[in-house]
Amino acid sequence: MRIPPALRSYTRGQDEVVLEASDLNAMLRALESSFPGIRDRVVDEAGTRRPYVNVFVNEELVMTPLGEVALMPGDVVHILPSVAGG
Amino acid sequence: MAGAIKKGSVVVSVGTKKGGFIFHSPDRRKWTMAGPYVPGATVYHFILDPRDGRTAYAAAPHGSEPWGPAVYRGRAGESLKATAHAPKFKDGSGLAVTRVWHLEPGPADEPETIYAGVEPAALFRSEDRGETWGDIDALNYHPTRKDWQPGFGGLCLHSVLVDPRKPRHLLAGISSVGTFESKDGGRSWTTENRGVRAEFMPNKYPEWGQCVHKLTWDGSGDGSIFQQNHCGTYHRGPDGGAWTEVTKGLPSDFGFPIAADPNRKHTAFVTPLIGGENRVFPKGQMAVWKTANAGKSWRRETKGLPANAFMGVLREGMSTDPEDPIGIYVGTNTGQLFASRDEGESWKMIANFLAPILSVNAGVAK
Repeated sequence: MRIPPALRSYTRGQDEVVLEASDLNAMLRALESSFPGIRDRVVDEAGTRRPYVNVFVNEELVMTPLGEVALMPGDVVHILPSVAGG
Repeated sequence: MAGAIKKGSVVVSVGTKKGGFIFHSPDRRKWTMAGPYVPGATVYHFILDPRDGRTAYAAAPHGSEPWGPAVYRGRAGESLKATAHAPKFKDGSGLAVTRVWHLEPGPADEPETIYAGVEPAALFRSEDRGETWGDIDALNYHPTRKDWQPGFGGLCLHSVLVDPRKPRHLLAGISSVGTFESKDGGRSWTTENRGVRAEFMPNKYPEWGQCVHKLTWDGSGDGSIFQQNHCGTYHRGPDGGAWTEVTKGLPSDFGFPIAADPNRKHTAFVTPLIGGENRVFPKGQMAVWKTANAGKSWRRETKGLPANAFMGVLREGMSTDPEDPIGIYVGTNTGQLFASRDEGESWKMIANFLAPILSVNAGVAK
């Protein structure tokens, strides 16, 4: 998983971490267990992805709920803020 | 960032749409600017903890907007760091915190306690200087919650009062729900809106639904409180009960902040605006209005304040320091910071060209 600069304070500067998870929700839980607090930056306490936070799996933008996106060994997940500009 | 803050200096912490700034001065004549802190972020509230005179707290998004709300802490004048966790609702509540609006230090004998008022309206308490937070259930899941309506700025809890005489005595102001009071440390809450108008409701004096804009203790120290509301200015005496409307003598019943003289009873300052959609100073003349008798009469102060100033002051935009005589600080939504060191009789602009100012907080470095 690629970590955006804004969240590297949680990962002690690491820009990439390797996780085992069957879907994106499980991946966020695994990430949280290693780096407490980071999950809250991606989803709120109701489990909803924050507005303007994009998740990509193998460069494909995820448009469905995170729990519905299964992961395979070797998948690369990016979390990035959207441009949200004009 | 610039310069260490000397002990005894007055510290004015300013939250803007583009970071937080500190203005500090040993004599309140010459000011040194430091910052930005949390650069580029919208800093909704930025305070110096008066209990130690050293710790700064800020409410801002984590880094930038997309990453959700955060609380920052650090030594005043140095970098701020996000605490481990921001306030958040319980799992299963279906609610999610979108912004932290207000940070309020807890009682003097609980130096690690701090309260946070958030949007959607809720109150949280931290007992470890903001690292972790607990839900104040009795207020956050109050039976009336399902009918709470947002103000124009959102459904936010923006005012928190902690009684210095009785730390379990708390008040909270929510737009546009009204004032709630707890006398048992937050285990139970009552609505406290008697006598407060709600012109936008069919019943002008409902039990709740008022649009409180700001609450502050009266410097009397006896539990009296001032309130600026969307519909008037109010004072409540030491025994609680109904509020007394004290709008008479002011040019408008609309304004956002209200700040009290902490050393002098019944003395407060307001910045009336043309309400409610225009929200600028009447006739374009920036003015601070002062009462020294709990609102029975008001005096308009404009010396040093600009004319042709079609701007306003936001909810957290005014604060007083505890010196004698007090200093008063007002930040505008067009990025100017004004200060008075003679109880409001004259004013001097100490900063210009900031981003819109969202909060002003004055204290003394220890």
